[in-house]
Amino acid sequence: MKLRRAAALLGLGLASLGFARGQAVIEGQVTLARSHSAAVVNKRYAIVAKGGVLAPDPPVAVVYLEGSFAPPAALPTAQMAQKDLAFVPGLLAVQRGTRVEFPNLDDTYHNIFSYSAAKRFDLGRYRSDERPIPSQVFDVAGLVTLRCDIHEHMRALILVLDTPFFVLSEPSGHYRLSGLPAGHYLLKVWLSSQTTLARPIDLAPGSAVEANFP
Amino acid sequence: MIRPAEPRSAGLQGFQHKLLVAMMLVVSAVAVGLYLAQRRVNADGRREFEREFQGEVAALHAVQEVRHAMLAERCRALARRPRIHAALEDNAPDLLYPSARDELADVMDGGEDAARAPATFALHARFYRFLDGTGAVLTPPAAADVGALRPADQAALALPGLPTAPQLGYLFRAAGTARESVDEIFALPIVSTETGEVIAAIVLGFKPIDLGATVGGADIRTGLWVGGRLRLPGLGAAAHAELAGRLTAELADPGRPDNRLEVAIDGQPYLLFYSRLNPGSQFPPAFEIGLSPLEGLLARQRALEWKFIGAALVLLIGALGASQWLSTRLSAPVEQLAVAAEENRAQRQRAEDALDTTSQELQRSARFSADASHQLKTPVTVLRAGLEELLAAEKFSPEVREEIAALVHQTFRLTNVIEDLLLLSRMDAGRVQLAFGAVNLRRLIDAALDDLSALPDNLNLAVETDLPPVLTIAGEERYTGLIVQNLLENARKYNCAGGRIRLAARAEEDWIILTIGNTGRPIPAAAQAHIFERFHRGTAGEDVPGHGLGLNLASELARLHGGALRLARSDEQWTEFEVRLRVAPAVPLAVSSFP
Repeated sequence: MKLRRAAALLGLGLASLGFARGQAVIEGQVTLARSHSAAVVNKRYAIVAKGGVLAPDPPVAVVYLEGSFAPPAALPTAQMAQKDLAFVPGLLAVQRGTRVEFPNLDDTYHNIFSYSAAKRFDLGRYRSDERPIPSQVFDVAGLVTLRCDIHEHMRALILVLDTPFFVLSEPSGHYRLSGLPAGHYLLKVWLSSQTTLARPIDLAPGSAVEANFP
Repeated sequence: MIRPAEPRSAGLQGFQHKLLVAMMLVVSAVAVGLYLAQRRVNADGRREFEREFQGEVAALHAVQEVRHAMLAERCRALARRPRIHAALEDNAPDLLYPSARDELADVMDGGEDAARAPATFALHARFYRFLDGTGAVLTPPAAADVGALRPADQAALALPGLPTAPQLGYLFRAAGTARESVDEIFALPIVSTETGEVIAAIVLGFKPIDLGATVGGADIRTGLWVGGRLRLPGLGAAAHAELAGRLTAELADPGRPDNRLEVAIDGQPYLLFYSRLNPGSQFPPAFEIGLSPLEGLLARQRALEWKFIGAALVLLIGALGASQWLSTRLSAPVEQLAVAAEENRAQRQRAEDALDTTSQELQRSARFSADASHQLKTPVTVLRAGLEELLAAEKFSPEVREEIAALVHQTFRLTNVIEDLLLLSRMDAGRVQLAFGAVNLRRLIDAALDDLSALPDNLNLAVETDLPPVLTIAGEERYTGLIVQNLLENARKYNCAGGRIRLAARAEEDWIILTIGNTGRPIPAAAQAHIFERFHRGTAGEDVPGHGLGLNLASELARLHGGALRLARSDEQWTEFEVRLRVAPAVPLAVSSFP
């Protein structure tokens, strides 16, 4: 704990540095749900459904700053691979307009599709040698549930955010958003398909704010 | 047979009836046994038939179940399809049917697959629909993709609520029309992978196993009954409607005892089995119907029945014959006995009747004789006394006196006759009892011969005797003497002039045989049988005095002595009577006879 506090103080210190350049930092702790499954090698973020709620397991939160930002000139391409009959990663957060590639790293076919309102698509069946790598551009903000038509258990979530400022928390729940422009925003924490926490936040230039949820 | 007397035939007939009844009881028992055996054979045949029938139906049912399992598995796989789940769970209802179209492309009927698929094993769906969370049908956007259904038929797919397990049902499409068809429908719950709850259901309609096909060689027709509707191809409209009504009534009864029914179709008996195809289903109950004609079985049973009846008849006739034969056989001796007894009885009766009559006549005649004798005795005595008085008088001439003497003599004769009659009448009445004693017959004969010699002898008769010195018989002297007197008198009366009389006696075992013979005219053969009858007199003896009582009296007296009198000989030369009298027993009687 001591170490963590020290790290937090260090973070705040770095944020002060950013503040010096006019950029703010938000750092904090999100209380995550306890994991229900035992730790497994190779298993990263899988999506579990409990009572109709889709959430990553082990739990992880997506913290993002909501406001009006200028559209980006160019966005990096993200990737969500299928490996060992699972999506890797299980949860992907992207800025709206991002192209996401879906490389098949398995020896079998996969057929990625989504019926979610934010993005409906169907990549059809393809193997790992499919080139170009099938990809989709996610230009509507929202939660997209990915499924594989062949492997019914495969599930992944892509959280399309209308902001360039977002970060996945650490498994411990700690997060740090940096390089934030000053202004009045809504700080949101996505915990599951059903739960998104929000709090308004004022960022002074170069400020370092600590925001813990809940 | 003497005469058809009632008691005899009644007894014999009773015996025969009893015998017949006994035989009939045995026959009845055998008939009952036969009947029971026949019933049992019939029941066994019936059971066998039903078992066979049920076996066929069960086999068909097993095929159905395998098919249902296959269909259910197929549907279950469909219900897990990610796209369908995605459409339902990811809130994309508009994509539900389009997704299903792709997913079910290989399941749905149509195209080349339908042509290849065997008709009876069509695992291809004819249509499908989704049910929403309340069990109502989600209307598809394009009916062509999901199999066209009329609105009413589509509505029939709805369930009161979402099922938790696969549901089997049957859908009558275009019911009542010529294009009526039946679909086998499966409703599969779709379980959310997110919530674990049933969020929807998919209903698929399949072509059922070809109905109406006869199963096996048992001439069994199969059909389907769903919610009051019957599908049984090859049945006339009227019979179809009647059978449907019958089944509806039968199946409406929750306490129905078993799963079979006997029905008449077009006047022919059928056995019908039904079994629930979809027990526990939320769809209307559907029953599989197996129909098998009973005609063959009934014909066999009838044939068997006739055989049994024939056997029973043969048995009955045989038993009747046997009983008749047996009764005849058994009753023959009885009948003979009865006849003999009857004859005896009749004879006895007649004899008794005759005896009765005779006895009455005898009594009457005896009474008459006794009365007559008594009535006569007194006047005769009076007459004799008068005559003797006249004889004693001096005033008559010797001629007159002789005449009077003759009259007196006649009164003696009259008295004799009267006494004979009196004796006879007493004998007739059974009132003469001999006081048996030893009678010196020789002395009696000598006395009689002495009396005879004292009588006037007009005929100049010669009397010969051949008598042993001692002749002792058992009798009463008074009556024994009468026998000898009567016979001797006859021998004298019916003799001829210059004739002979011969008395001879001999001992013969216990008997003394005394013969008294005489010359004279013979007794005609026709009269010989009647000479011992009362008041009979020989035809030739018209001029001979007598009253026709002598022989009768002698004969009766001989009988009283335990002996007999008979005519031994009667021809031109000689007429001879023979008296048989018992030799007196040695001492006791002699003692009593000579005190």
